[in-house]
This record gives sequence, C-alpha cells and structure tokens, in this order.
Amino acid sequence: MVAAALGGEGGGVFTNWVIDVAQANNWLCQTTSLAGVAQRTGATIYYLELFPRAEAVSEQPVLSLFPAQGDIDITITSEIAEAGRMIERGFVSKDKTTLISSSHRVYGISEKSDLGDGSIDASELIALAKRYAKRFVHYDMAQLANAHQSVISSVMLGALAASDVLPFDKASYEVAIRESEKSVTSNLSAFNASYERARAPAAIVESFDPVQREAEFVFPDARTEGGKALFKHAQMYEPSLHELLYHAIVKLVDYQDLAYARQYLDQLDSISKLDNGNSNVAITRHVARYLALWMCYEDIPRVAQLKTRVARGDSIREEVRAEDQQIIYVAEFFRPRVEEVCAMLPVGLASAILNSRIMFGFVNFFMGGRKLRTDTVSMFALLTLLAKMRRFRRGSLGYLQEQTRIGHWLEAVRVLASHDQEAAIELAACGRLIKGYGDTRHRTTLQMSKIVQRIQNVADTNGNRSWPSAAELVRLREAAFAGDDNVAFEEALAVQS
Amino acid sequence: MAERSFESEVLKLRAGKGDVFRGEGILAVTKALLQSGVAYVGGYQGSPISHLMDVLNDARDILKELGVHFESSGSEATAAAMLSASINYPLRGAVTWKSVVGTNVASDALSNLASSGVTGGAMVIVGEDYGEGSSIMQERTYAFAMKAQMWLLDPRPNLNSMVDMVEHGFRLSEASSTPVFYMMRIRECHVTGEFIAGDNIAPTYSSQNKVKPKREAEKIILPPNVYDQEQEKVATRWPAAIQYIRDNALNEFFPGKYDEVGIITCGGSYNTVIRALERQGLADCFGNTDVPIYVLNVAYPLLPEEVIGFCERKKRVLLIEEGQPEYIEHSMFSILRKADIDTRLYGKEILPGAGEYTGQIVLLGLTEFLEQYPVEGLHLQLSSAQVRDFQNVLTIEDNKLLTENVPPRPSGLCTGCPERPMFSAIKQVQKDLGEFHISSDIGCHSFATLAPFNLGNTIMGYGLSLASSSSIRTALPHKAISIMGDGGFWHNGLTSGVTSAVFNKHDGVLIIVNNGYAAATGGQAIPSLVQPNRLIATTMDTDKANRLDNQPIDEACRGAGVKWIRTVSTYSIDKMKATLREALTTDEPGLKVIIAEGECMLNRQRRIKPLIKKSINDGRRTLRSRFVIDSETCTGDHACIRLSGCPSLTIKPNPDPLREDPVSYVDNSCVGCGVCGENVHSAVLCPSFSRVDLLYNPNTWDRFIARVRRRLISWMQNDRLTTNSL
Repeated sequence: MVAAALGGEGGGVFTNWVIDVAQANNWLCQTTSLAGVAQRTGATIYYLELFPRAEAVSEQPVLSLFPAQGDIDITITSEIAEAGRMIERGFVSKDKTTLISSSHRVYGISEKSDLGDGSIDASELIALAKRYAKRFVHYDMAQLANAHQSVISSVMLGALAASDVLPFDKASYEVAIRESEKSVTSNLSAFNASYERARAPAAIVESFDPVQREAEFVFPDARTEGGKALFKHAQMYEPSLHELLYHAIVKLVDYQDLAYARQYLDQLDSISKLDNGNSNVAITRHVARYLALWMCYEDIPRVAQLKTRVARGDSIREEVRAEDQQIIYVAEFFRPRVEEVCAMLPVGLASAILNSRIMFGFVNFFMGGRKLRTDTVSMFALLTLLAKMRRFRRGSLGYLQEQTRIGHWLEAVRVLASHDQEAAIELAACGRLIKGYGDTRHRTTLQMSKIVQRIQNVADTNGNRSWPSAAELVRLREAAFAGDDNVAFEEALAVQS
Repeated sequence: MAERSFESEVLKLRAGKGDVFRGEGILAVTKALLQSGVAYVGGYQGSPISHLMDVLNDARDILKELGVHFESSGSEATAAAMLSASINYPLRGAVTWKSVVGTNVASDALSNLASSGVTGGAMVIVGEDYGEGSSIMQERTYAFAMKAQMWLLDPRPNLNSMVDMVEHGFRLSEASSTPVFYMMRIRECHVTGEFIAGDNIAPTYSSQNKVKPKREAEKIILPPNVYDQEQEKVATRWPAAIQYIRDNALNEFFPGKYDEVGIITCGGSYNTVIRALERQGLADCFGNTDVPIYVLNVAYPLLPEEVIGFCERKKRVLLIEEGQPEYIEHSMFSILRKADIDTRLYGKEILPGAGEYTGQIVLLGLTEFLEQYPVEGLHLQLSSAQVRDFQNVLTIEDNKLLTENVPPRPSGLCTGCPERPMFSAIKQVQKDLGEFHISSDIGCHSFATLAPFNLGNTIMGYGLSLASSSSIRTALPHKAISIMGDGGFWHNGLTSGVTSAVFNKHDGVLIIVNNGYAAATGGQAIPSLVQPNRLIATTMDTDKANRLDNQPIDEACRGAGVKWIRTVSTYSIDKMKATLREALTTDEPGLKVIIAEGECMLNRQRRIKPLIKKSINDGRRTLRSRFVIDSETCTGDHACIRLSGCPSLTIKPNPDPLREDPVSYVDNSCVGCGVCGENVHSAVLCPSFSRVDLLYNPNTWDRFIARVRRRLISWMQNDRLTTNSL
C-alpha cells in the first residue's frame, strides 16, 4: 500500500494506525517513508507491506522497502492532484489497485501565484483516475474532517476500512483509534462518517452530473419603479446574459445608485449594437462583465463601504472560528497613498495637491502604514463617514480618470468591432486585466491603455497600418498576466509594433 | 526540544534479553549500540539520520545510567575526532552523520583515525542520502571507505540483520584495528519492524571507571609512523578483516537450482532483488530462491575467495550495485581476471549507470538479464516489455493531461516562518537596486532559491556561503551578499567565512539567519540557542545576565573582528529593508553582518501552544492572533502570494459572480505572524488584510467596552442598503 499525504496532514499517524490494526489482527506490517527535510511543504510518501503472521511461523518474510510499479494493491492519497501524481508515477494499475483519494484541492504554489486563475482542473483528474484504477473511491475528505473537527488521516482510515481490501474488520480500526488516546471522540466520528460515506454507492459509482441545461434566469421583482425600468432594459438583452446583467446592476446600485446602473446599460447598448452575435455574443458578454467591475473601481469610499457591512462581522467571526460571544479585535492594514486620497477629492482640489510639491508633501506626511481597529467606535465612525463620501464620487478626480479610461477602452472596442469581430472579442476580454490596488492597479491600467493606444494609433492613420489580430491581443493579454515586472508585456508589445 | 520527540519510544531501549523490540530502524540501531557496550556516542544531525541524534538526545537518562557519554557534536569533523578515544583505549564508540556531505566535512579526522588504527571498536553510522527523498548531490560513501581503508557494512534491511551487523561491526573493527562505516539508506532508517532484543551492556571504561592514560607514540600520525601505518594497513589489518568476515560468515550465500547463473547484491538491495525474483516466479516470499544469490553485507572489502567460490562454476553473474562509479564491479572483474575465471560478470551494462535501484529498475534489469541470456528450464512470468509497461501505463494524451494538471510541490518555508519576511525584504530591495547575485547556504533558507522568492545563485556547502562569495565579490556590480543560517554559522561559517573575510578585508554583506535552532534538520539545539520563556517570536536573550553558558552570534563575530553588526527582527520588513540598503551602500570598509533574528515558527508553536493553552485554562486574559483576507475587497491578483508564498495563504473561488479569478484566502493554519500585514505596508498592497485577535477570559472592562462598541456600531450600521432602491 502506498499512502501519500502532504506535510502536517498526519500521514505518519495514519501509518501507525494501520500498523496497530495489522498487529491486532496478527499480521506483520512493515512501513517505511520518505519524510526528509526536503519535504517540508511537499508530499510525503509512505509505503506499507502487510503479511499474515500465521504463514510466517518458521521463516520470516522478506518485505520490500520500495513501492514498485504494477505491484500496488492500495494507493491512498489525501488530495486529488496527489492521486494524479501517483498515477503518473505508475503506482496505480488497472488490474490491481484500489485508489482512494480525497477529491478536494490543496493548491500548489504555481497555482496560487498566478496573476489570474492558475488552478488546475480537478474534474479532469477524477475522470482520468477512474480510467486507470481498478476501483476508485473518492470524496471530499477534508470537508468531512472539518465537519467532525478531526483530521484528514482519520477520514482516510475510514475509507481504507470501508474499501475491504485489507482483511480486517471495522472494529479493529476503531480499537486502534481508541488506543492512540488522542482526540478519540472526534477521530472516531470522522472515521465512522467516512466509512459510511465510502460504503454509499455514490462514492464508487461516481455521480457524473449529466450536463445540466442551465435553468433560464428569471429577474426577481424590483421594489421600485427605477429598479423595474433597469430590469426591463436588461431583459432586452439575449437571455444567456440576464444573470450576468442582474449581478452587474445589483453591484452598481450598491456601489453608487440607480442612475449609475442606467449609465452602465447605456454604454453597454453602444457595444451590443456592433456585436454580430458571434461566439455567443462574446463581445457584449465580456464588456458586460468587465465594464461593471471597472465602473465599481475600489476607491477609498468603496473600501470603507465594504468594511462597514453588517454581514462582514459575522463572516470574520466564522472564518476565525470565534466562539459564541467571544470578543474579537479586528485591525485592518491600510496604506493609502496621496494618489488614492486625491482620487476621492474634487477634481480642482486634487489636481492642486498633485501639482504642488509642498501640498503633496504635506498630505504625504499623513500617509504610510496604518493599522485601523475597525471594532472601535471612532474608527468605525470614520469609515462610515468615508463610505458616505461616495455621494460626491461623480465630482472626484478618480471618477474623472476612470471614466476617461473606460471611454477609451469602449471606443477602441467599437472601432475594432467594425473591422474584426474576433479581435474585438479579445480586446473586450482584456478587461480582465483591470484589478488590484496600488502598484498592481497602476501597472494593469497602464498595460490596458497601451493596448488601447495600439488600436488608436491605427485608427489615427485611417487604417493604413494594420489592425491588431485576435491572436496578437491574446498574446498581449497573456504577457500582461505573465508577471509583476511588466517585462514580458513590453517585449510582446515591442514585437508587435 | 526537537521537531519529533522520541520520549516514549526511547523507553524501548531498556528492553532486555528475549523481549520483542518493535520500532523504527534508527531506534533498533541505537539499541544495538547499547547492546554492544559503547562507551561514547556523538554526531551531527541531518536527514536521514536526524532522528538518530534525536533518539540519543531523548535517551540521555538511559545513556547516563549505563555510563555512556553523549555529545551533540559541533560538526561532523567534531564527531569524527571523538573517535580518537578508541585509538589508545578499548573504548567502543559510534558517531553518526548524513553522508556523503558529513563524510566530506569529517574527512580530515577520519583519514588520521584510519591511519592510526583503533584499539576499541570505532563505528561511523552514515545515513546514505541517495535516491528519492535525498536533499544533497548524489555521491557514494564507498569511495572514502576505499581511499582511507575503512570497512563499509551494508546489511540486509531487516531489523535482525541490522542489529547483528552493528555488533559484528565493533568486533570486526577491533579484530582489524580499523574503523568501520555502517551504512543506512534513507528507507532503511525509517523502516519499521521487529527483532528479539539482548541486554544492554555498560562500557568497561566510563566516568565511573576511568582509564589509565596511555601513550602509544607509533599511533601518532607523524612521519615516520605514517609509513609504517600504511604498511600495517595492507600487511596486517586487511588480512585480519578478511579473516573475521569469512570466519563469521558476514556475507551470505543463498543457493538456488539454476546453478549456471547467479546474482551478487549488496545487503541493502537484497529485499528488492528477492521481490523481483518473486514477481518472476523465481523465489518465494521467504527468500527461498531458484537463482543463487551472494549477499555482500560487507560491501568493502571484498573477499576474493568468496567471489571466486560463487562465480567459479557459473556461466553468468549479475551484479547489482547501486550508485556510481561502479567500484565493486571493477574490483570483481579484477578478482576474476587474476584468478583466470571466465565467468561473465554483468553490471552497469544491464542496470542503469546512475540513480537509485528501485523495485521497478531491479525487476527490469533482472528480467532483461535472464531474457538476453536464457537459462534452460527457467521461465519468466513477465517479459521485459510487460515490465516496462508497468511504468508507462498512460496514453500520450493522458500523460500530457497529467503533466498539465498535477502541480509541482517544491519545498518551501513553513507557515509563519521568520525567514519569509526577510526574503520579502530582500526582494523589495532588489527591485530598487537591481538584480542581486546571492551566495546561499544549506538550511531552510536554501528554499528561497525556489519559487516564489527565486533568490540565490550558488550553494557550496554548510556554512560556506560567505567563503563562496570571496572571489566573485570583486566582479559584482553590488557588494557581495551571502546568506547563512545560525546552524551553518556555528558548523563552519565562523571560521571558514567570517574569520577569513575579516582577514581578507571582504567588503560584502553577510546575513545570518538566527532562528535559534538547527531548524532544517528538525529543530535541534545549537550553541546560540536561548530558551525563550516568553510568547514573542524572538531569539533575543532577555535573560542574558543570568546565563553562564550563552554563546551569542554577535559576540562571536565581534571577537572575530567584525566592526559593523546590526541585529534586526526579520518581521520588521521596513527596518530590514533599511538596514540592508545601508549595508549595501555604506562607505564603511570591511564585512557588514546583519543578524536577522526571529524564532523558528515550528519550534515556537511547539513551545507556546502549551503555554497558551495553560494560560487560557488558568483563566488568564489571553489573546490569540490570526489573519484574514476580505474576499469582498480582494480583486484576485495574488500579489500577496507572490511576495510571500506562505502555505497558509491560498486561494478560493471568488464570491463575486462577476469576477473570474480566485481570491486570496488565509486558511486555518495561520499562526498570526503578521508578515501579510507588514507586506501590505511595505509593498503597498491591497486593503484586504486584517488581523483578528481572539480574546480569551476577558475581564470586566473588556466586556464593558465590547458591549458599548457593539451597541454604538450597530446603531451606525443602521443605514439602509443602497440596493433597497432596486
């Protein structure tokens, strides 16, 4: 049996339980592991061989220390990508191996550090595991462990017991957990729940979701006339866009007001007119999504608004697992810069500050790292006040700047749409770049404006220079997502121009 | 207090004659040392024998009762020099380290020991860090055994054989006046099994019964003695060893019915060979084989008459020798040639020239050997094509799919590691000053050479980073930067690095990571360890005045002549950046030492968890911190993750239906070290990070204030949601 667990998941505890179960059943169990320091955050692999003592009376069996390809009865992993790794290494064979794995994901550093979404597709792994194992038992063991306030190793033991590959009865596993004398109650309940779950037919015969036709989205009833008018406007769009538009409207109204959502739909209208409907109205779809997000750019009033939500306190308490009535203190880490402060000020004042070295320096003096205790009355009052400043947003410098940039982007999409729909789709999709705060936001904004400038340059020559192709825009977008340093993007841009 | 405690396991070391001993290989070997009557033990930790040092540390009481002297040596050289006690006196002793690196460090003392020869049995237990799970360059200890003439034991990997071979090792060492290596492979160190124990034997000489000082001038390694010692190695010690090995049948012969072929294997690979034969239907699970096997439990020296006896009437023999160069193969060819025996010996032309001999590789090699040179009546259950298929079950598409969907999991720094903020600071300074060339070292900080930090250019050995920057420093556009751990500093860095750098007017920067322990090898004690009694994560000695035995790093540097020394907490990223920038730009000549201090978080958690638990249970007002990320304000660009790489910092699906990229998320393993917050401030990140302090056992004032806050805040929150207008 091969067992693979990530550091700190209790692979050693699991192995010791199996030794005890074997011992109680009068079986020999030899284990070995590769748990060197090089494995601090990596996967640790345990290898176990079991042999009945009754057959080893006069002679001792010679047990191997290496798991060998094609010779494994059970492979058990604490995470689905690790199951994939075991298949990759040949420790799962069709004629022999029962593969038991948790179906949850523990993301690797390459997945986590991606500028966009670098996470891999677990469903592909599950489908593949089914093809390569004799039997494949899988479910979310981490969730089960959490539900029973236990650890994943006890859930894995439950799955092992239920798989019936080892000739040991369930009671002997329970004895092993009891005799380890640590967190016995929670470990036993997780073990039992897992045992039941693994026995349930769904765990083995994977409930492969038949391709569900998405139920058509129905707009809820609006409470106000203004709301009704917005929903009616949105319903004029192609039905597959309705849900997206609904979320966008809710977000925009929450961010500013009804008029802001109207402004959004009007701008979207100017795009959808030029969309020939290719690729499932992709131009409109992308713009609908990214325009809403861009319009709800995170300025100081927005952050203050989100930080003073009623629901926020509850979700924090839940996330840190605070007990009922337990007092918690919340310190927010802010580091506003002069630029961000000016963005919320009226255009005239903001420009005056940004253009005067003395005033800039004066404001800058008050900037720097802050830890704000938002559970205190004064800080909460300050944030509430800042959140209310959103009423004046339309007159702020930040609003002026963002709306100008948005205008340029939409104009470029419109121009390109009339020449090359495919390219316009990709330009619309570039809206994904706009995110982050501080330096990140500055960089992504700059990248976007350079892409837009690229189209503007062609338009200025009345199309004498060639329009960027869809493929070129994809390359630019991917280069922008390649790293924090902007190097790849500048290179890609240089190649094209 | 090391990472793993063996406190309950070491009780097994008290087992007496006839008791069944169950446990790990390392524990069994420790027991065997006690059964052999060792007078002293020592060593330096390192995978895969770190646990051997931990076991010895935790077994201090038992060792003391028996009168066995134990030291955590300062380095492998220190440990090897300990063995000098066995030169003049009949004291048995054993030391241990990670090989081949430890053997390299110890080589001076070992060569001299091997030349002088020993009276009492002297044994070096080497953890052969080779193959999967290794953390060092791939070399064999075998070469050292040959050139210094030390015997190399490589027993079959079952507890009985391993224990027997320790006891034989001491007798062999004494019979031939030669120190021996006892080799343990990685999997052998961690193998669990059982054996029948014997009684522990107290050493004849110890602090209870002292030796009478004795001088044997001929054993000192000065000329002309060294010439005589070399002669004695060849003329006396070698034949004595051969005789002992032969008379006690340390190597084993397993006969089989197919007499025209045979297999020669080292003891360590025996189980793998049997499994391969078993899968081919040529052996049973008890090791009864159809193909004759000759097992070298003593891998060095070889016994020509045994080799000849085994090969003589065979047509073909397959030698299974892991690692390179193939010293055993060369020696056997020489033996057979000299004896004019034309048995064909096969080795590396069938099995791979390099790399670990796993189950699959041995099975494939054996199959190919028997296929290429068939034996009459011998049938294989699996063809080599079938064996190859075990390895390549995937179709090309599925292989591609797996390659794309199985993310690598490189080693990295633990959650809350004090080194993380330090490397974040270095990365931020690098962004300002241009790309750095950094001389790295051995230790947890080596992981900074991997993603997400990607800092560091060379690693030359333990404590050698400063020394390794001594030549490149003049050719670099910036002052040379070396990073060294406190473990490396005490092991070697103070002398090879600091002292030499000051002497040579080295104008570079040395960052010493002071986390209080030998953290990478499992949190063992080091000279500068202070036992902090407070909850804060610092290695600063708050109790300095009352300590007689402290060995601070800064004073050691000052003593070596360093003038510019700064101590900075790694968790203060801004201060660290400023200090680093100052060190890199100052006009002050000479070595600049920055001691980056912050207690190893693994050890700290182990230290404070019981303290916090006790504090809460005692009803004392206690705060526990951790971080959270606001998934409402997080926009999913993951700059925080790229800057830190903390394992507790991960991702989860974005709760905003409009956003596609996952948001960052702090999982429950967060220890509240504060680095995320520091990074927010120093790198101007997003406003999504919050520190949450959970208060246990609040006092009346806490409760009163909390009540007031709750009431006032909920009054302020009573504004209606904007979306009500929808």
